[in-house]
Amino acid sequence: MRFHIVKRDAFPLWKRLSFYLGAVVIALLLGAVVLMAIGVNPVDYYWRMFTMGMVGNKIAYRAFENYLKVFVPLVVTSVALSLAFKMRFWNIGGEGQFILGAVAAAAVAFQAGPLLPEPLTLVLMCLAAMLAAGLYGVVTAVFKVKFGTSETLLTLMLNYVALYFITFLGETKAAWNFFLEPSSARPIFTSFSSLAEFPGIPIGKFHLNVCVILAVLIGVGIYFYLKYTKHGYEIAVVGDSIGTARYAGMKVNRIILRTVFLSACLIGLAAAFKVGTAGILSTAITDDVGWTGIIVAWLAKLNTGVIFLVSALIGVLQYGSAAAAATFAQVDSSFADMLQGAILFLVLAADFFTRFRVVPSAKGGNSNGNG
Amino acid sequence: MAEQPYAIEMRGITKTFGSVVANKDVNLTLKKGEILALLGENGSGKTTLMNMLSGIYAPDKGEILVDGEPAVIASPEDAKRLGIGMVHQHFKLVDVFSAADNIWMGKSGAGFSLGRDRYQEVADTAKRFGFDLDPRKKVESMAVSEKQTLEIIKVLYYGAKVIILDEPTAVLTVQEIEKLFGVLRRMKEDGHSIIIITHKLNEVLDVSDRVAILRKGEYIGTVDTASTNEQELTEYMVGRKVDLNIDRPVVEKTRPLLEIRDLTILNDEGATAIDHVNFYIRGGEILGVAGIAGCGQRELCEAIAGLRPIQSGQMIHKGDNIVGLSPKAILDKGISMSFIPEDRLGMGLAPSLSITDNMLLKNYGDSKGPLVDRKLGRADAEHVIEELGVVTPSTETPVRLLSGGNVQKVLLGREIKAGPNVLITAYPVRGLDINSSYAIYHILNQQKQDGVGILFVGEDLDVMLALCDKIMVLCHGRMMGVVHAHKTSKEELGLMMTGALDLSNKYEDKPAGIARDTNIVPDQPEDEGKEA
Repeated sequence: MRFHIVKRDAFPLWKRLSFYLGAVVIALLLGAVVLMAIGVNPVDYYWRMFTMGMVGNKIAYRAFENYLKVFVPLVVTSVALSLAFKMRFWNIGGEGQFILGAVAAAAVAFQAGPLLPEPLTLVLMCLAAMLAAGLYGVVTAVFKVKFGTSETLLTLMLNYVALYFITFLGETKAAWNFFLEPSSARPIFTSFSSLAEFPGIPIGKFHLNVCVILAVLIGVGIYFYLKYTKHGYEIAVVGDSIGTARYAGMKVNRIILRTVFLSACLIGLAAAFKVGTAGILSTAITDDVGWTGIIVAWLAKLNTGVIFLVSALIGVLQYGSAAAAATFAQVDSSFADMLQGAILFLVLAADFFTRFRVVPSAKGGNSNGNG
Repeated sequence: MAEQPYAIEMRGITKTFGSVVANKDVNLTLKKGEILALLGENGSGKTTLMNMLSGIYAPDKGEILVDGEPAVIASPEDAKRLGIGMVHQHFKLVDVFSAADNIWMGKSGAGFSLGRDRYQEVADTAKRFGFDLDPRKKVESMAVSEKQTLEIIKVLYYGAKVIILDEPTAVLTVQEIEKLFGVLRRMKEDGHSIIIITHKLNEVLDVSDRVAILRKGEYIGTVDTASTNEQELTEYMVGRKVDLNIDRPVVEKTRPLLEIRDLTILNDEGATAIDHVNFYIRGGEILGVAGIAGCGQRELCEAIAGLRPIQSGQMIHKGDNIVGLSPKAILDKGISMSFIPEDRLGMGLAPSLSITDNMLLKNYGDSKGPLVDRKLGRADAEHVIEELGVVTPSTETPVRLLSGGNVQKVLLGREIKAGPNVLITAYPVRGLDINSSYAIYHILNQQKQDGVGILFVGEDLDVMLALCDKIMVLCHGRMMGVVHAHKTSKEELGLMMTGALDLSNKYEDKPAGIARDTNIVPDQPEDEGKEA
């Protein structure tokens, strides 16, 4: 029996959603097989994971606060990346831009924190992070528009430059290095949470961090920016057909520079949020959001609203697996990474099947479909 | 069976793409040693049908018989084995390889090493079929007709007995077409069977033995070429009577709106694309630009629209020099350019955006404030849809989902809506069916009657002769002369296009291209003053 692939027509939304949901379920089943193989009851495990250990927990609000700390940098980074991706600028340098933003924010906290009132310090931290990350990102755009270099390669390589930079800061014990703990002989990063920390708005015992509100505002703002403004329109045209954009008299280079700068700035802001809630630098400060954000942006098909949804889900996977690890010591929290990978692949496969179907090749006679 | 089996017989072939039925229950027969023309408008499923013969698509339904035997053609390899070869409209050649290597790389069992003898082998094949081909020549340095010859030799080298040619004449000049038809006739005498896809009726009548007609994916019938005529074939193809005449209304011409003087432009590779060209366009006339593909038309259009820097020369619009102005500034002066590239969407439209958004492309910046005024775009979209009869579910439909004719109407509609005084339009009917083409000609004529000066870059000489007032011919970037459309002939244009005939210095007292009836001469003070 031979098969061939046939393109589908309009596929109803509910069917498409059920395909995606099916993909997630299959991924979870695959995960269940792995869990059973190492002797863990998958139902129990998934229960712990998806409730993030909050059920029956007296300090569940704490867990939720911590979950939001994972969620905010991821969603802001994903939204920022989607901005560049919409223009078909493949910014895979989110990691590097995030690190530079984090270092800049921390530097401001250490230097300005003791001198200025805390709110002002926080604002300056955000601005510094945005500027540092924005410049780090826009360099690749400058090379692209001037010399036609590949932004994929440049942003990728700059990730490692940034990573080695923060590693250098973390491992170099010197008088100038104010990032490190002075009282320790070994080089370790020191905390500045007493100097600057994003405040929470108390709702009962739960504290809603202002970063969450800011993240939502950024999401709404970018949605509006892309959909209704002239800038957003230009991004859409440049992304769709660069020749057409030129032909319409758009200043394509300027649009690319501007958009990449904005995208990297927002990643810097995500880094400021992260640093300003953690109160300390770390070589693992990014939590891989520069990578995960790419996955989120694509799973959401660059739709800002869906990015929030997908980020929330990925956040649950990541935070939940960490929470579940408290009960199931034998399951490493990198199980979440595996699950995330499986979900990505299966959703992509589901995507294929929403657009095509596989039918047996028929020899005359029996028709398929509406013929 | 006493009768000789058909070389190819297709029975009840159906192929669908989603809900689009490309071929519906098509029956086709190809006799041994005949030339069969496959005729149909664009989108009638000719290429799809042939792709199923050459193993690129698999039919959803139906069967194919080769030499009377049922055959499964699941891949181009299968087709090759069955002796079926196809010359595609867009050549499938590796630019940096020599002619011989392009043929040799597809040979099965060719071995691991590149033998010196491959050149001789390919040269022998070429000679055997009466072609003239240098097997060591790289494809990138070949002319279009040479590439096509190479494709045909490739197919013959693999031992094809059935040869399919998809729109082979689209890229050739009149003289080259004659040569190609000579080759086809010789191949036929050799016992090859040939299917030639085309939508040009005169060629069908010229070269084929029988004509099979498709209309909207359906098989209409097969007729003997000897017993039919253009009018009848058109009716089969379109489904009703069609007036094949193109109007050329006579309009009072104004003074030149756009003058090009001594213009030199480089192409992307830095070679001269337009070489010291002079011409002008007056209001109320259509100036055709004829030339074989790649003779500088694209660069010329881009330069006028401000998209490509010029090397030297002047471009004067209503007395103002427009050299160096931004595309937007040129647009604001009323010079509008629409270029339909081969892929038909690459320039001028953003395919994933809606009709509304595409309407806004050139004037989205005119509204105040940071927001895009979509109301304006929607109103324009509705206007164009109604005026030009664009078939679309809504104004918010992405342009790429529209059919070719509708896409081009949207593009032209937007250009006209802006109220230009100079309209530059390149290949506006590229890939359109007869009805849509005539609708476009009508739009252009209306613009001409409104006093717009039109530069029409075209590829079909018959159309240009009927529609344009004057025709400028380019050959390798050089202007071979401007001729009056009603006083010239296809043959003359063909000779000019290949550079064999140069009329640019016919009138020795006037500079080339600044033709007899201009009322602005280069040294007229009024103009010079303004340029400075």
